[in-house]
Amino acid sequence: MTAIADELCSQCGLPVGRYATWREITGDRHAFCCYGCCLAYQVRNGQADESEAAWLLIRLGVGAFLAMNVMLLSLFLYARGLDSTETGLRQAVHLLLWALATPVMGILGWMLLRSALHDLADRRLGAELLICLGSGAAYAYSVLSILAGGEHVYFDIAATLLVLFTLGRFLEALGRARAMRSLAPMLAAERAEATLLADGREVQRPASEIRAGDLVLVRPGERIAVDGVVVDGRSTADEMVLTGEGKPAEKCPGSMVFAGSVNHEGVLVVRTAAAGMQSRWAQICRIVRDALRQETRSYRLADRIAAVFIPAVLVTAVLTIVHHSSDGTFENALLNGLAVLVIACPCALGLATPMALSLGIGRLARRGCLVRGGTILEALASVRGVAFDKTGTLTCSRLHVVAVETFDVRADAVLRYAAALERHSGHPFERSIVDAALARTIEVDPADGVRLVPGCGVVGSVGGTPAAAGRLDWLSDLGCSMPADLPKRARVLDATGLTVIYVAWAGCVRGAILIDAPLLAEATATVDALRRLGVRTMLLTGDLPAAGQRVADAVGIDAWQARLSPEAKQDALAAWEARIGSVAMVGDGINDAPVLATASVGIAVGTATDLARESAGLVLPEGGLRHLPWAIRLSRAVRTTIATNLVWAFSYNAIGIALAVQGLLQPVIAAGLMAVSSVVVILNSLRLESAVKD
Amino acid sequence: MTDYLVFFLAGLAGSFHCAGMCGGFACALGISSPGHRWTMIGRQALYNTGRVVTYAFLGALAGAAGQAICTAGGMAIPTLDGAMGTGQRLLATASGALMIVMALPLLGLRRVRVGFAAPGLAGMAGSLRTVLATPAWPAPLAFGVLNGFLPCPLVYAFAVQAAAGADPVSGALTMAAFGAGTIPAMAAIGAVGRLAGPMALRWGVRTAGVFILALGLVTIGRGMLFPAFHGHLMS
Repeated sequence: MTAIADELCSQCGLPVGRYATWREITGDRHAFCCYGCCLAYQVRNGQADESEAAWLLIRLGVGAFLAMNVMLLSLFLYARGLDSTETGLRQAVHLLLWALATPVMGILGWMLLRSALHDLADRRLGAELLICLGSGAAYAYSVLSILAGGEHVYFDIAATLLVLFTLGRFLEALGRARAMRSLAPMLAAERAEATLLADGREVQRPASEIRAGDLVLVRPGERIAVDGVVVDGRSTADEMVLTGEGKPAEKCPGSMVFAGSVNHEGVLVVRTAAAGMQSRWAQICRIVRDALRQETRSYRLADRIAAVFIPAVLVTAVLTIVHHSSDGTFENALLNGLAVLVIACPCALGLATPMALSLGIGRLARRGCLVRGGTILEALASVRGVAFDKTGTLTCSRLHVVAVETFDVRADAVLRYAAALERHSGHPFERSIVDAALARTIEVDPADGVRLVPGCGVVGSVGGTPAAAGRLDWLSDLGCSMPADLPKRARVLDATGLTVIYVAWAGCVRGAILIDAPLLAEATATVDALRRLGVRTMLLTGDLPAAGQRVADAVGIDAWQARLSPEAKQDALAAWEARIGSVAMVGDGINDAPVLATASVGIAVGTATDLARESAGLVLPEGGLRHLPWAIRLSRAVRTTIATNLVWAFSYNAIGIALAVQGLLQPVIAAGLMAVSSVVVILNSLRLESAVKD
Repeated sequence: MTDYLVFFLAGLAGSFHCAGMCGGFACALGISSPGHRWTMIGRQALYNTGRVVTYAFLGALAGAAGQAICTAGGMAIPTLDGAMGTGQRLLATASGALMIVMALPLLGLRRVRVGFAAPGLAGMAGSLRTVLATPAWPAPLAFGVLNGFLPCPLVYAFAVQAAAGADPVSGALTMAAFGAGTIPAMAAIGAVGRLAGPMALRWGVRTAGVFILALGLVTIGRGMLFPAFHGHLMS
């Protein structure tokens, strides 16, 4: 991937691809995906230089005025027809047309030509060049025709091409930017500004320059740029960007505010908790931006085709002219060649994939579902099965200890050792064991050298005594000795279907903690919805078979495998994938990171921890398991949209060129059709905004 | 010619609608250049020229589209005063029905659906402000042209009427006549600020609605009733 392919269009937010248009505007360097976006951006963001923006619109307006006059005059000329006796009148009209068309060429043509020359300087051919060539040829031919006293002029074609292309691209860009504006809050973090209170003065600073501990003023209606704690003021804030839910949250001194949320009615003074770029919002923005930038297979395909397309079109146009001039007038041949140039503009082709993907990524992001790229979205659409981790994914993360079994020690001792170890594990069991210890007012000793062995347990030393908590077979592998009746009692414990954590210290297994994890309320509905989508389900757990079966039966999962180490989970997943095709794995993103990375699509639920983890391709918000079936349906809709867009764009270009080559298409009509083609792609993609309901 | 006179009158009545919608633009053009009287008249003239040429162009496009529909249907292209082919009659019927639907909100009989406007154009309206503020002489012309492209139910209604003619030239003339009708009110408003009270504006808009409703009915009539009717009105 080159650096250029990484950029997003400054105007519409779509990835610009390999063939970006680079411009320096009001001192900054911007990338644009097309000529229209470049124009639209200059008009909209000319605040720094208002007159420049106004002049661009004036040029467009005056150019359009002259061109429309040329067209209307030509129209009356064609409609009325002039016979051979009216040579004087005809010449006068021709001269008038020339006079009107020349400023159009100067005003609109020059802008376009400059863009085409920019492209050429970057060693590539763009649609602008096609239009410049077409329009220039029509104009030059008409001038020669007047000078030679010929009967026909084509100033109308020259002018119409320029106006339709320029205005069409301009309006299309405005419309596209409007369609993409739902993504704007997800991309705004990098440019966010905060009002810093320093020495009693208010200073505007980019969020990236805000450090932890700074005081920041947030006015009503502003988007909060930093994470922090309110020290003064009362208000409500809309945290839509972070949670996907639009319920306003009360904010008063002492409450946390989050970057990205919108402050409603009151003025807040906030002490920042972290540097501006470390907020969750900034992370979300980075993920969304990276996702938008990512090249996908279908995008590369369209890009590659576009690269060979324009030279091929130029050759086709020349061949068309040569062919038609051999068996007709040169005039007709030229018109046919022009039609080929114009109809072949690959605007719709370039738009087909990125627009649909970006809308899909944006729609997911608005619900708090972050996808890491178009490739993941495409993979999600073809998922045939979903594997679930159990704890923290299908079951509540709020677990509770139901019983403590002991082997010749007191229950408090078992809890004390377990709590000391688990306190550092970050595992969902942690809270429940520590809570149980606190409930019995057990003093938890500090532990040293605690190490989490994913899928097995934790090991470390408590008060100098080596200790471990986790699966029984793992403890036995560590060399812990077993009380004589342990195997028999273990069978009884295992049969309960609860999660059993064995605790060992000083080389001997001394107790077991039984933990119950209530099923997540939405788990059954989610699995059910997946089945209706034709997606198979499987439970992969490190827990005991009884626990696995209990959960699988309760939620209605087709198959389950238990007592799996992380490596065994990877193997099980790979075997399943080999059997049924591409599969996704849902986990909490911490303990099962390696498994998530193995799956075609790794899905992490509610990782309040580090969003920047690379293992999950799709991150669902906390409690967002219910979004999974919706996300799959949305990804399928995106795939369908891309397919229809590509089919439309390819066949439109193919049929259009075929017609033009045979001389069956007027250049002006071709210009109109070209604009319609992009509009069709945009409208088809926009259906994604409302297509997939809950 | 009678047709074009009717279109002109409809435009005249409809200009009360324009005054409500775009009058502010025209006023701003007058205010932003508080210079000599002739300067102001010149700016108004440029603004209205730009607008009317845009309408005429839209009319020509609509007429050409109508013609394309008729031709694609395999019907003969009708001449201005010849008998109508089946294609044009179907087109006239559909256009008439569409015009009647468009007349209803103007008459206050149907709520206007927001979002009818093209999304891009609404975005453009914001940036037109900058053009208004520019004192340069071509600014009003450019502004008039761009204003002409702004979404407006009256313009749509007459574009449909122009399409029903199935001929670019008559389409251009139709819209030009309509545009010319809107000039007096817009120029007056631009020159002396708001002229008429809200009641007068509302009645003006209703009158325009009646015109469009009547035109719609006539157009449907042309399509469905007797072929001779068409020749009559055109003569």
